[in-house]
Amino acid sequence: MAQRKPHKWGMIVDIDKCTGCQACVVACQAENNVQLNTEDRFHERRPIEWIHIQRYWEVPEEYRSRPEDAPFQDIKARFLPVLCQHCENAPCEPVCPVYATYHNDQGLNVQVYNRCVGTRYCANNCPYQVRFFNYWEPVWPDRMRNQLNPDVTVRSRGIMEKCSFCIQRLRRGERQVEAAEGGELNDRALAEGNFAPACVQACPTGSLIFGDYTDPDGQLSQYVAVDEDTNEKVLKDDRAYQLLKNIGTEPNVIYLKKIDPRRTGEGGHG
Amino acid sequence: MQEGRALADRQINRDLLHTIFTHPKWQWGLIAFFGIIVLGAMCAAGYMFNRGLGVSGLNRPVMWGFFITNFVFWIGISHAGVMLSAILRLSKAEWRRPATRAAEVLTVFSLMTAMLMPLIHAGRPWRVFYWVFPFDWARGVYPNVRSALIWDPSAVFTYLTSSTLFVYIALLPDLAVIRDRSTGIRRQIYSVLALGWRGNPRQWKLQIIAGVLLSALILPVFVSVHSIVSFDFSMAIAVKSWHSTIFPPYFVIGAVHSGVAAVVIVMAVMRWLYGWQEYIRPEHFDALGRLLVVVATGWFFFFVLEFFFGLYSLEADEIAVKDFLSAQAPWSWWFITFVGTTYFIPVGMWLFKGVRRNPGLMIIACISVNIGMWLERFLIIVPGLAQKQVMNFTYFTYAPSVVEVVIVIGTFALVCMLMLLFAKVFPLIPLYDIKEGEIARDEIQIGRRKVPAVLREE
Amino acid sequence: MARHPHEAAERTGPPEVHLSDREVMQDLAEKYDAACPKFWLAVAVAGGLFALGVLAFVIRALDVGLSDSSRNEYGYYAAAFAFLIVTATTAPLAAIAFRWTKNHWRRPFSRAAELFSLVGILAVLAFIPMLIVLPGIDLNGDGVLELGKDRRTIWFSAPIGAPIWWDMAGLIGVVVCGLALLWVSARPDMAQIAQVSNGLRARVMGRLACGWQGTVRDWNVQKGQMAILGAFYFMLLVWVHTLISLDFALSLIPGWRDSIFAAHHVLTGIQASAGLLIVVLFLMKKVGGYDRYIGVDPFWSFAKVLLGVTLLWGYFWFSEFMTFWYGRDETEQTVIKLLMVESYRTAFLLNLFFSFFIPFVLLLWNGVRKSVLGPTVAGASVIIGAFFMMVRLYVPAFNIKDVGAESIAEFEAAHGGTAAQLLPVLPGPLDVLMVVGMMAGAAFIFLLGTRLIPIMSAWEMKEGLMYVLYRPFMKGKYLVLGKPE
Repeated sequence: MAQRKPHKWGMIVDIDKCTGCQACVVACQAENNVQLNTEDRFHERRPIEWIHIQRYWEVPEEYRSRPEDAPFQDIKARFLPVLCQHCENAPCEPVCPVYATYHNDQGLNVQVYNRCVGTRYCANNCPYQVRFFNYWEPVWPDRMRNQLNPDVTVRSRGIMEKCSFCIQRLRRGERQVEAAEGGELNDRALAEGNFAPACVQACPTGSLIFGDYTDPDGQLSQYVAVDEDTNEKVLKDDRAYQLLKNIGTEPNVIYLKKIDPRRTGEGGHG
Repeated sequence: MQEGRALADRQINRDLLHTIFTHPKWQWGLIAFFGIIVLGAMCAAGYMFNRGLGVSGLNRPVMWGFFITNFVFWIGISHAGVMLSAILRLSKAEWRRPATRAAEVLTVFSLMTAMLMPLIHAGRPWRVFYWVFPFDWARGVYPNVRSALIWDPSAVFTYLTSSTLFVYIALLPDLAVIRDRSTGIRRQIYSVLALGWRGNPRQWKLQIIAGVLLSALILPVFVSVHSIVSFDFSMAIAVKSWHSTIFPPYFVIGAVHSGVAAVVIVMAVMRWLYGWQEYIRPEHFDALGRLLVVVATGWFFFFVLEFFFGLYSLEADEIAVKDFLSAQAPWSWWFITFVGTTYFIPVGMWLFKGVRRNPGLMIIACISVNIGMWLERFLIIVPGLAQKQVMNFTYFTYAPSVVEVVIVIGTFALVCMLMLLFAKVFPLIPLYDIKEGEIARDEIQIGRRKVPAVLREE
Repeated sequence: MARHPHEAAERTGPPEVHLSDREVMQDLAEKYDAACPKFWLAVAVAGGLFALGVLAFVIRALDVGLSDSSRNEYGYYAAAFAFLIVTATTAPLAAIAFRWTKNHWRRPFSRAAELFSLVGILAVLAFIPMLIVLPGIDLNGDGVLELGKDRRTIWFSAPIGAPIWWDMAGLIGVVVCGLALLWVSARPDMAQIAQVSNGLRARVMGRLACGWQGTVRDWNVQKGQMAILGAFYFMLLVWVHTLISLDFALSLIPGWRDSIFAAHHVLTGIQASAGLLIVVLFLMKKVGGYDRYIGVDPFWSFAKVLLGVTLLWGYFWFSEFMTFWYGRDETEQTVIKLLMVESYRTAFLLNLFFSFFIPFVLLLWNGVRKSVLGPTVAGASVIIGAFFMMVRLYVPAFNIKDVGAESIAEFEAAHGGTAAQLLPVLPGPLDVLMVVGMMAGAAFIFLLGTRLIPIMSAWEMKEGLMYVLYRPFMKGKYLVLGKPE
């Protein structure tokens, strides 16, 4: 096998483009054999959503202290897709007693289902709350059995799972590119969209962008660069931010702020 | 005046060994009663293994609940043994003598019980071996030494090993006494266990050296065990109310508080059950009561600091947890109960000498402490998780399921049953220690008054 | 108890003291009456240094003023003050604690421990400038405490007069309580001195003894008073340690959220004051002429306590460090860098070395514990360690300008590299004079105090003679310790 190019996978989430349609959630559910979130699961508060859309209602500044008085047309729905942030400095990793979760050399926080014994310590120590525990053995109705993705393990009960950045697609893409070109994996292949994670592929507005930070010509390069010396990410876009940056987890998922038409004066229905 | 009358060696043997050589029916009845509860808990655990952790009340923000609370609680109880035996042995406190064995045995049994908890709370309990034992059981990967959950079993097993040795070494002279008084197969078993104890000066010297050495070596282990348990929480930055620098000493002093209280309960119960009024006297409860006042007050100082620093931070998440805990029903009721039962009720009682010298009232105060300390752990673990922080989109609280409650009750029955079984085969009050105390007992005449005194080798 | 016939008991007392009650009293009174020239030389040197320290403080105050904006000039002053609190003000605790646990070996030093409450007067005076330079709570004055705008404080929305008047009231409470304890405990001795000496001293002592007759009722009342005052002293002291450590160190460093800190401060106080008392005991034995009253036993027993406290000190420090270090939170990491591993690394290493490693390594050995010199060296080391601890905590705290920030981590980003206020501050000549002056002042007051009240408690020594005796048993002689209820 040819020497692989080093990668640093990451994702950009453009909040401005997100409509909260939940297509990513459904795509993820189907791609990764995530168990069915039935009504019962929601009542038990044990749904599993590797990516989920958090919805917030935003009122104008002057109504912060008494949101119930805000005129309805000024109340804005805000959507925040949250998935595993694949932190460079992940709090979930050191606490796992059996090394079921660790950081790989491509910047991914990976979960080894076979090793997991289900202490759930990682979930406690995840500030983003994106680790999920299989409380029950997953079951699918017979008619959905054939829908399961053969590339992805069906997780048994008693273990943790979480977003993998669709690592099975990355691996398949690597194999395809290597077979076709006999060479390295590159972002040109990525640009063709043949191995983006399912959520990225499904997003109708293109608010999710997946790519390689280290590729200077890649899709992420206009938002973020990697400092040669410190190997840290430098955010180039002034809309860019990271969730809970202050606790120093160094997430690999970068968010782009909502553009508020009222503040920027770009018009809109305000 | 010296309390209690002088006892002859022969009478000490007779009084303290009657649990072994007589077989009243109520003993087996009690053991069977606790055994049935334990069996019920085992069935509940089996059901949980079969169906998965879904049968518990745990959910997404609250990943740890009753089991971990119970784990911390029993680890806490186990701190009594060393606290009483080792520290009081090193500081040569005379009143420790009748309390040591029961405390040490309680340590061993509560540690065993405690260690069950994280194992059955794991998602796949049949695969925990490569977690619990630091060895590459599977795929040549050693456990992750950075994880506080690896420090836990290592510390607990070290503590279990050393406290078992501690019990055994203190048991040797007594085993020989039983051996000399029993016949048949029992004699053979006790002979093996007594390791050829003849009671010659060399053996005594070795036994004393081993006891003192173990006392000194076990102390760091004792402190480290509960510190490491507290690290499970304080190392986690994602749960704001857990990440507090005071946790290790706060947990240790809380453990000593609940553990010593548990020893008082055990002592009062065995005094009544086996008729050992001559050995466990009001003065012992008095001394333990005073010790508990000090420990409780130290604990309270730490509790105040811990609570207060949640507010000091001015951080919204942190204040939200404290608000949730202390001002929102139903948690606020649990909170008030916890503070009252852990500190104000028992310490209020212990301030009176009459209470301290009354075994019945001491039991009530100490049960109150243990209710409070169980709640303390629960109120540290669950509200912190339920009100985690900003990204915790689905806030939810937690209520235990029947399975969890049955298992928790089962652990209490298990410890009771094991204690009773132990008392059936070994003396729960160290014979040799009491005899030594009888030799050391002395009086000094000052004017017309007699002052109790002790003889001391230096 | 027919096994040991009381007739056979020999009332010999501890090996060091072969004296009767009356001889003890006369001997102690003589020592108290006559002070050697060396003593007065020591008093003069301490007084001179104290005066120099006061002078240095006045120069500094005239030069830079005494206000919130010149707080950074008083970092070492604050460290010296805190050092005074953790040593002298905490010392009476040893008398209270070991009297409560009825340890016979406390008898030679319990009065010396109580005498340190006289130094509290200096502490109260030295506290006034500290209060003046303390910044307010609600920095922007909008009545609401907000993270990143106001100082984090233990006073929240400020009860009236907080923190200044409450801190002062606490400290004065401790000092008054300590002085009352000293008086109550010294009354029997004062009455005795009034009888055996003459002139002005006899009159003063007779007046101070306030009609002590030595009746059973007198003794019972004294016992009760000591118990109550002791309990109050203990609680007030812990409270004052908490207030001072939080108001003058923790809350001045933004982002330092350390719940164990107050407890660690109290523990450092207990450790340092134990060290101080061992050193005082050594001086009493070797220089003060109390050789025959102080055997190895007080050193041996106190060394065990010191070892325990030292281990606890290491443990508390480790809890703090471990939580911050493992958590990898940037705010906390910067605090560790400031106080331990970068800015004040030298002071921190000295602190760890003297407060933990030296006493630990020394006291680990029974041979060292059971000697006079070993515990003394460990005690001196602990005192030095406590001083460096106060330097590494209070000096940076007083040198932070923007106490209202959310975290000191932010300063670095704003200034590009390490901000000036996070750099270590070295003491100038005036600082050195102030620090030395503060310590010399404490020594000065203590030495003068020993002229007022004898440094050894005669009634406790005599009581000890009654309870400790040697008795033959089997083939040897054994120590018998009376344990009065």
